[in-house]
Amino acid sequence: MLSIFAMSLLIVSCSSDDDGISSEPLGAYEDGIIVSGEGGPSSISFISEDLMTSENQIYFNANNEATGVYLQSIGFNDDKAYIVVDAGTITVVNRYTFEKLTTISTGLTTPRFIDFDDNIAYVSDWGDPFDATDDYIAVVNLTTNTVFSTILVSEGPEQVLEKSGKIYVSHKGGYGVNNVISVINISDNSVETITVNDVPDEMFIDESGDLLVLSSGANQSWLTPPVETEAAITRIDLSDNSIISNLEFPAGQHPGLMAYDDGAAYYVLNNKVYSLADNATSLPTTSLFDISTSYTYGLAVDDNQLFVTDASFTGNSTLLVYDISSRTETNSFSVGVGASKIYFN
Amino acid sequence: MIRVVLLFLLLLFGSVAKAQTSTDSIQRLDEVVLSDVKLKRYSHGYKVTVLNDSLLQKNRSSFTDILRFNSNLYFKENGYGMVSSPSFRGTNASQTAVIWNGISINSQLTGQTDFNTINTTNFKSVIIRSGGGSVQYGSGAIGGSIHLNNTLSFSPHFDNTMTLSYGSYDTKNVSYLSSYAKDKWSFNIGLNYIDSDNDYKYLSTDKRNTNGAYYNGSINANVGYVISPKDVIKLYHQTFLGEREFSGTISSPSLAKYEDQNFRTMLEWSRQGDKAFSKLKVAHLQEHFKYFGNKNTENYTFGKINTYLINYTADINLLTHLKLKPIVSYNYYEGNGSSFGDPNRKEFSTTALLQYTPNEKWQYGLNLRQDVTSGFESPLLFSFDVAYEVSDYYTLKLNGSKNYRVPTFNDLYWQPGGNLDLVPETSYQIDLGQDISYKSAKLNLNAFYIKTTDLIQWKPNTSGFWSPENIAETQNYGAEASLDVSKKIKEHHLSLQFNYAFTVSEDLESNKQLIYVPYHKANINLAYAYKRMSLFFQHLYNGEVYTTTENLSGRFYSVEAYQVSNFGMTYQLFKTKSQHIDVSLNVNNLFNTVYENVAFRPMPDRNFNFQIQYKF
Repeated sequence: MLSIFAMSLLIVSCSSDDDGISSEPLGAYEDGIIVSGEGGPSSISFISEDLMTSENQIYFNANNEATGVYLQSIGFNDDKAYIVVDAGTITVVNRYTFEKLTTISTGLTTPRFIDFDDNIAYVSDWGDPFDATDDYIAVVNLTTNTVFSTILVSEGPEQVLEKSGKIYVSHKGGYGVNNVISVINISDNSVETITVNDVPDEMFIDESGDLLVLSSGANQSWLTPPVETEAAITRIDLSDNSIISNLEFPAGQHPGLMAYDDGAAYYVLNNKVYSLADNATSLPTTSLFDISTSYTYGLAVDDNQLFVTDASFTGNSTLLVYDISSRTETNSFSVGVGASKIYFN
Repeated sequence: MIRVVLLFLLLLFGSVAKAQTSTDSIQRLDEVVLSDVKLKRYSHGYKVTVLNDSLLQKNRSSFTDILRFNSNLYFKENGYGMVSSPSFRGTNASQTAVIWNGISINSQLTGQTDFNTINTTNFKSVIIRSGGGSVQYGSGAIGGSIHLNNTLSFSPHFDNTMTLSYGSYDTKNVSYLSSYAKDKWSFNIGLNYIDSDNDYKYLSTDKRNTNGAYYNGSINANVGYVISPKDVIKLYHQTFLGEREFSGTISSPSLAKYEDQNFRTMLEWSRQGDKAFSKLKVAHLQEHFKYFGNKNTENYTFGKINTYLINYTADINLLTHLKLKPIVSYNYYEGNGSSFGDPNRKEFSTTALLQYTPNEKWQYGLNLRQDVTSGFESPLLFSFDVAYEVSDYYTLKLNGSKNYRVPTFNDLYWQPGGNLDLVPETSYQIDLGQDISYKSAKLNLNAFYIKTTDLIQWKPNTSGFWSPENIAETQNYGAEASLDVSKKIKEHHLSLQFNYAFTVSEDLESNKQLIYVPYHKANINLAYAYKRMSLFFQHLYNGEVYTTTENLSGRFYSVEAYQVSNFGMTYQLFKTKSQHIDVSLNVNNLFNTVYENVAFRPMPDRNFNFQIQYKF
């Protein structure tokens, strides 16, 4: 899941642009929920904002080709969406019609996530996953759609988040385990690191402008001896990269998904949804409600609604929608194979 | 179940009616000298199809293609030349055993054989035995088994065949076969090397198969020596060395590369005793792969398994009509690899095969096997078969069996995910066959039912990684028909060979067809020869397959049915008593059909192959 916050900002700005102008719709997928499925075959599904209609494999329908192996994430910038595929490509489409505009493939190896600063995109890339020292951030010129620079970072860069002239990268660790957040200064591409708990993944900027990181902790039960470290939600002050709070989970708990909306983070642990307010000083002891998924693989929150994907890798997955205040499931949709990321277009 | 019974009855009556019209019969027996006695003497109630060396020589393309166009087997090939896995009667690739001179060569890592790592150049015959064969051939022989046999003839001869071919995508193939026997010695060798860019055009796009090049070399050498009038010693060896790029999908080209190194050596001592014919086999098999996620780097993962095997068997005539064949075998497997440490497995098995032939019309077989395997318990396996020759041109065959497949090294030890609590998959099945022959026509009809429990499937677990579990139950049923007709009018030789299979293979929980199992598959081969000229035409129909467990149908979720044709002609340029030179031209995908065998992995456009063969 890429920065939902950043996207919600975009949505706000887009809709404010549209205010007062009764313009033509920009495309069939202008307003609604986009769900990407890793595959295979990978695909993208659309659900209308009013949750009344849905359409699967919208990219295939628009372009008569599949999205590739495997669809990792999608980034949204201006009127375009960037479909990031593990095999080493980013497909650029019109975000409202999903019609393909171009493909970026040179300079990418194992791309993971993308975020934007003006006309430049920053893409995390594992390089050769078996090489712990060749991981990088690819810097893409969005006018020419070419990678024009790379910034070497430590192993397994995952999510990418732009905030005030800096790029924050969580290092989940690729095939291994890592425990840092890279901070790249856009002005000179210099890199600093912040150490957090093992396996940092999801990142959001909270209402106070602090960085919120979910690290799921190492859980390598197959090693001899087994390696297990604590998961944590870490809040970082971006003015000096200091850690404001580090809320650790008890041993044996390894949440992997977190969403953020309107002053609260949400995470899922053993089919229970928990909420953590910005001002909380400890992890919640009681859950909000239970969800009925068998394999929770994607999570997002928007406008008091919680969306989760129940992923199947042998057939279509399910998107479940819960109303947070009434704590009930309100809708469910069939979405693509291996559905993993939920975005609001 | 009712549907299955009806199917049996339908086939039974249909063919009885047909058989009654027969007036004459010519039993066309396939001339095979088997290195595997179990196939010849203990499979009377089974459907056994022989592809002899003339066919293997004619279709010099891949083993996958030979079987795809000449049998009921369905193949799932990840793009041409890539990993190719068979499905036999709707079972999966690890439920199809590949047997090399009587011993199983399925990978201990994946449980299956990649048919694009088998070169058939020096095999005397390939035999397809349909139906369960775990009693005879061990783990994995659930849907059926494919047998690769070498023969050593001791009648004095010295034959050589040199073949050169060149074709589309810069495909070069050279092979040399030599067979020699004199006095007490017999020797044969087959050398083969193939190299292809395999960069075929993806029809109706502007893309090509950019990462599909492959080359491989194989050596197949066998020696036999007659020690005494009663003792013969034989040494079989096979080496396969190959490197392939792994092509990606139409939307995501790949950079991956895969290397295979397989070595198989077996020493066999057979002795004709007063009461029994006994055989002692000692074998060493090694499979070794390296996978490069990016061919431009030196980083790879690997897996390697050594198998050591000792096997003793005797063929005993207990009474005039009663034959017994006990087999004891000990296998030791040791593996090491990037993802599973260095586990090992020991396996001891005892088998008894009993064959009763009260008269010329009836054949009964009863077989039992018990394995003792380190790590898990193996079930007691059995099979029975009956063959009844109703008349000279009509034979009924029935067999039933309990079969199994043991968890592979990947299933047990893969890190993370390997599950040491797995138990073997077990399967029951029944198969009714009818063989009808009339003049030079032969018709086989078979109906089968297979039920498999404790099917091993990988799925994501609560810790976030994939792990295998014994979860699924499936049933397969269907019918197969094969027709073989040949006709000679003066100097014109005509032959027709037709196969059709109807296969239902469903998950018993969802009642949905398993992915990548076509309901319908058919192929037809027509051949015509006149004097020095021969022609063939082959055509394949492969029904739609689903790629999702929900059986979603349509362009995105299922692979459309397709039909492909090949055409070939051969002309004998030169011929003397001891030498001849043949030139041939093959056209594959004659009609330039756009098709995929696996979703989003296009298959080749029309392509040509020119070959010159010199026999002396």
